[in-house]
Amino acid sequence: MRNAFAKALIRAATDDPRVVLLTGDHGYALFDEFRQVCPGQYINAGVAEQNMVGVAAGLAKGGLRPVVYGLSAFIPVRVLEQIKLDVCYEELPVVFVGDGAGVVYSVLGTSHQSTEDIAVLRALPHLTILSPADCWEMAACMEMAFHRGGPVYLRMGKADLGEVHSCRPKLMWGEPYSLQDGDGPLAWIATGSMVRAAARMAANWPGSSVYSAPCLKPVNPDAVAAICRRRRAVITLEEHSVYGGLGSAICEVASAHAPTWVCRVGIPDRFSRFCGSYDYLLREHQLDDKSILAQIERFLAQVPDQGCFRRLDVLGRQAA
Amino acid sequence: MRTFEPRKLRQTILRMARAGSTVHIACAFSIVELLAVLHRSHLNLGDRTPRAAGRDYLVLSKGHGVMAQYACMYELGWLADSDIESYFHDGTPLKGLADAHVPGIEVSSGSLGHGLSVGVGLALAAKRAGTGQRCFAVVGDGEMNEGANWEALLFAAHFRLSNLVVIVDANGFQAMGSTRDVMDLGDIADKLRAFGLETREADGHDEAALDAALTELTHLASDRPRALVAHTVKGKGVSFMEHDNRWHYTRLSADTYAAALAELQTCSSGERFA
Repeated sequence: MRNAFAKALIRAATDDPRVVLLTGDHGYALFDEFRQVCPGQYINAGVAEQNMVGVAAGLAKGGLRPVVYGLSAFIPVRVLEQIKLDVCYEELPVVFVGDGAGVVYSVLGTSHQSTEDIAVLRALPHLTILSPADCWEMAACMEMAFHRGGPVYLRMGKADLGEVHSCRPKLMWGEPYSLQDGDGPLAWIATGSMVRAAARMAANWPGSSVYSAPCLKPVNPDAVAAICRRRRAVITLEEHSVYGGLGSAICEVASAHAPTWVCRVGIPDRFSRFCGSYDYLLREHQLDDKSILAQIERFLAQVPDQGCFRRLDVLGRQAA
Repeated sequence: MRTFEPRKLRQTILRMARAGSTVHIACAFSIVELLAVLHRSHLNLGDRTPRAAGRDYLVLSKGHGVMAQYACMYELGWLADSDIESYFHDGTPLKGLADAHVPGIEVSSGSLGHGLSVGVGLALAAKRAGTGQRCFAVVGDGEMNEGANWEALLFAAHFRLSNLVVIVDANGFQAMGSTRDVMDLGDIADKLRAFGLETREADGHDEAALDAALTELTHLASDRPRALVAHTVKGKGVSFMEHDNRWHYTRLSADTYAAALAELQTCSSGERFA
């Protein structure tokens, strides 16, 4: 997916000389080809993120189309106020790319992990938030980002999990993209790295519908309400805090337009405590398959007419 | 008659401050001569409309002094008497800090440490496009507490932004006291030189000296960004406001308004201005 990002960026920069890439001394190896192909459009702004975002705003006001790259722990969180005042307030066409979102930097600890970026950004007017799940969604999101003509945050999480799609999906602004449509009582809506987990989990409940949500803002309330209305319960999954991210966005729509039961699976309200592999960190935050299943079982058990949720048993048989 | 007469600009500021019952009068008074000289002799205003193509950028990073810029915009005809008299009234567009939604104001500031970076970006965009546009960024000495400003200076020097002029309004005060007591900057000019800027100093209320320093800076054969440290007096122009930092936050009463206006309407020779 990072490759798809780098390639899309090169295409954008060769198509449009106004595109300039700013990085805060991050992106080792990622931009080698970009620097060869578009050397005049590459700016290493040094380890100084606040200034970098202000400069990007000035460049945009001066007619350029800046892309600001950083780790999602720094872009956007460290520079939130610059994004708000310098960029969003004036609706400037600046694309922010936050790499390594979630707990990708599992061994580096809390400073490099980012589980609050969507939450802090969703309240900023004019900002579009994209969160692709694979290389196909990345290509589509990059195109959307450059066509948006306003500020965009593109969240890049765990990038080597393989593909969700087999070809480029036609994404609609604010609409979850249907990966699997069923007539069962459960809908699964996931974003970024958790889309595959959603598909795996959903297989336990035949008839489930599964959606990928690469566009977290704006949200099309009609599209989300239609999903909620058709199902007894909705399960959201994200590698982000359970507060303020995808799950919250779905609940906001559901509560106003189509009240239903929603289970928000995500990072609990805690920081990572230990060091370890990415998979270990997912386990620590109860985002591994086993923990997610347990959470969902507990959630479904409290839904009044839970009998409608028929899970396959260990042998793959539908419960009676 | 000379345009951008400081005494008249200060009168406009007082009218606004009285109409809006606002604070930050002293912050505006310290940059009056500076903005007057910039507007009169240095800023390329293009066709003299607020967003003229090819204009030089005036970035007021110390947004607290925005009434001084409003006064210049009034002189340019970009603001009307009704804008001055309705300052801070419900539903009006002119805010108490610089706001880029107002035509003529380039950058939203007031949250300090933002404007210089945006100005650096404007200068870089102009330089890349070869438009010849320059950016004059006015920062406060108190504002130089902000780390982002020093990031911006590093960037400007590294990328050789010779079309950037950083102007420090060194009035020696910030919100809660003197800069020396709150966060001592030491010698600002030395610091700017150390960061690689062509730096000059001038009396910020001596228009001839400001004009000469800006002329010299903008004509230097150098690829470095430029800096001017303008030594100013906070509250300059009204005797009881000068050097009295209470006028960062004090509002005008009917009496202080009348007294301040009377001082500004009477020049040393006793001649009265309209």
